[in-house]
Amino acid sequence: MNIKGSPWKAGSLLLLLVSNLLLCQNVAPLPVCPGGAARCQVTLRDLFDRAVVLSHYIHNLSSEMFSEFDKRYTHGRGFITRTINSCHTSSLPTPEDKEQAQQINQKDFLSLIVSILRSWNEPLYHLVTEVRGMQETPEAILSKAVEIEEQTKRLLEGMELIVSQVHPETKENEIYPVWSGLPSLQMADEESRLSAYYNLLHCLRRDSHKIDNYLKLLKCRIIHNNNC
Amino acid sequence: MKENVVSATVFTLLLFLNTCLLNGQLPPGKPEIFKCRSPNKETFTCWWRPGTDGGLPTNYSLTYHREGETLMHECPDYITGGPNSCHFGKQYTSMWRTYIMMVNATNQMGSSFSDELYVDVTYIVQPDPPLELTVEVKQPEDRKPYLWMKWSPPTLIDLKTGWFTLMYEIRLKPEKAAEWETHFAGQQTEFKILSLHPGQKYLVQVRCKPDHGYWSAWSPATFIQIPSDFIMNDTTVWISVAVLSAVICLIIVWAVALKGYSMVTCIFPPVPGPKIKGFDAHLLEKGKSEELLSALGCQDFPPTSDYEDLLVEYLEVDDSEDQHLMSVHSKEHPSQGMKPTYLDPDTDSGRGSCDSPSLLSEKCEEPHANPSTFYDPEVIEKPENPETTHTWDPQCISMEGKIPYFHAGGSKCSTWPLIQHNPRSSYHNITDVCELAVGPADAPATLLDEAGKDALKSSQTIKSREEGKAAQQREVESFHSKTDQDTPWLLPQEKAPFGSAKPLDYVEIHKVNKDGALSLLPKQRENSGQPEKPRAPENSKEYAKVSGVMDNNILVLVPDPHAKNVACFEESAKEAPPSLEQNQAEKDLANFTATPSKCRIQLGGLDYLDPACFTHSFH
Repeated sequence: MNIKGSPWKAGSLLLLLVSNLLLCQNVAPLPVCPGGAARCQVTLRDLFDRAVVLSHYIHNLSSEMFSEFDKRYTHGRGFITRTINSCHTSSLPTPEDKEQAQQINQKDFLSLIVSILRSWNEPLYHLVTEVRGMQETPEAILSKAVEIEEQTKRLLEGMELIVSQVHPETKENEIYPVWSGLPSLQMADEESRLSAYYNLLHCLRRDSHKIDNYLKLLKCRIIHNNNC
Repeated sequence: MKENVVSATVFTLLLFLNTCLLNGQLPPGKPEIFKCRSPNKETFTCWWRPGTDGGLPTNYSLTYHREGETLMHECPDYITGGPNSCHFGKQYTSMWRTYIMMVNATNQMGSSFSDELYVDVTYIVQPDPPLELTVEVKQPEDRKPYLWMKWSPPTLIDLKTGWFTLMYEIRLKPEKAAEWETHFAGQQTEFKILSLHPGQKYLVQVRCKPDHGYWSAWSPATFIQIPSDFIMNDTTVWISVAVLSAVICLIIVWAVALKGYSMVTCIFPPVPGPKIKGFDAHLLEKGKSEELLSALGCQDFPPTSDYEDLLVEYLEVDDSEDQHLMSVHSKEHPSQGMKPTYLDPDTDSGRGSCDSPSLLSEKCEEPHANPSTFYDPEVIEKPENPETTHTWDPQCISMEGKIPYFHAGGSKCSTWPLIQHNPRSSYHNITDVCELAVGPADAPATLLDEAGKDALKSSQTIKSREEGKAAQQREVESFHSKTDQDTPWLLPQEKAPFGSAKPLDYVEIHKVNKDGALSLLPKQRENSGQPEKPRAPENSKEYAKVSGVMDNNILVLVPDPHAKNVACFEESAKEAPPSLEQNQAEKDLANFTATPSKCRIQLGGLDYLDPACFTHSFH
């Protein structure tokens, strides 16, 4: 129609297109709250802060419980030699140093943490039951075991919330290592039974430290962009 | 031969051993790995302690294998950690995995192994001390001065990715002080100190710790000199506050010392003594008798049960011209007729009524139509007769047996107690009570005068109290004016004129119910020979109704033929007594009958009406 107007029109259209593309580049690749405002009542930062607090607390409790148990029942008797390869979660491909941890992707990392937490539900439950049923129940150890069981459940809930926010499309993967050490806890031979308890507490201490370290890594990675 | 060979062999061996011992060469002693540390969770170092070296150069080697592996490895780095150490680099360090290691010492003579050591890097973390500690004194203009510290984390620790988490702690002390002042700083790398001593030299140190691990060593001390002009505003404020409070305390102490007791009483007021419930002394002073009475509630006096000890059979009421009423002593039946025995109104002995000469007026000059009889309290008198001992109204009691006597009846009847036993005390008591109850200014107030007092005096005192209640008096008198002024005495049935020379008639108290209301009957004449039947309600006329209070507060009683034995004032309230003067008297009667129970004051056997109570009806 208007020969003079058409190049202007085309130019403006092109300009609009280019600017849109450029703007689209700046969109965050991973929305923090893809589920929408309704599901983001607690910010991810708060969720991670809470999770880190819980994991830190759980490891402190586990460490104390192990020390008390060792001091009271097994010190100096070489029980540590029997802890080699005794943890049921050793089959999980967990990173063992910083480089490995930085190579693993965020989604796998989170589901790994959730798997470890899930795999400890049952052992913790039996630990509480068995310690409670001991002849001379060590009150300090029992109270810590109860607390660890409680806080681990909460941490698991928090982790599931985080996963639903960060990776809402994640399928519920209920696969986790199964603990089968209950018969060992109930053995008649005191040496064997003590060894079983020692192993369980040793593994709990280790795994709680793992989870704590992993969460602190993830927090700095996701929330602070590796700039803690 | 054989013996020689054996001995030679032994000799040779011993010689050889001797030579060796002289040289001092032995296999090495057992080494021991005593410490392993990781400063950053990425590398770690182990140190061992060698045993005796046996005099020969000894090689040490550390071998290890890891949990889940069977392959034995040797220490990758013997140098970095210093002598007798093994350093594991990044590629050799794994977290959450147990290392089983031991050291082998070898020399020419032999070797020896150390015990196995199980090491997990997770639990051997101890960082280096923080670096670059800088300390400054900062004195901003509009704020308080403070000490500012800053440091940096040790090298080789990765905080950015979150692999490692550090927490800090600082401590400082003046140079010469013995103890450190420690502060936890969390994960921050700077710190402020506010409270410092000016002019002193301070030492400052910092250390750090991983989230799960051992504290580092303290950093080298940094010295800082606090300038002398370091103003501590807090101190100045506190000093001024202390001085001010000291001054205030001194003032308080001085005031207490001066005032002393009064302050003590102000703080600890004396415990008040007991007081009569409902009795307000202020009302007494102001002369508000009705309020006082209402507060007291006049009915709190307990019914007497021991008044029978002081029974007097009856009172003889005298209506002689000089208006003396007399009361008859107990056990002394007066003449059937009227015995104008003049009783000294001053002496109240033998009188069994609230009023000393009698409750009834003695003046019977004029007849009156009002059949009711009044109780004339003793102390009530006309103000115009202060000088006379005639404290009674010029009224007298009706004759013909209508004179209200108080008769000592049967057991059920209350009788006026004999006053003569303890006239004065009882009068005193009653007077006091009446005075208390009624208040000073109430004209028809006190029923009794003090026994020993002059009636005049009492009247005067009453008058003085009456003056405070002139309105009441006026009302009383106004009431009287409504009735027949000249005939204050109401005959029970007939309008017998006053002054008629009729013999005295006794009124016997029929009974006093539990409320203390009197029911009166005219006493039968003794010469009639008729037995006294005070309890014949049909025949007898009970003076059980107060028809009103007349002038000078004389109560006018009327018989109540309708009243039963148990009749009391209250019950006959609604019934008009026969031949009773209508209108005002009835109204007042109604008012009176409503209140008499309230007005009973029974005290030690005396049964008195408090005419003051009836004044309520006036108002």
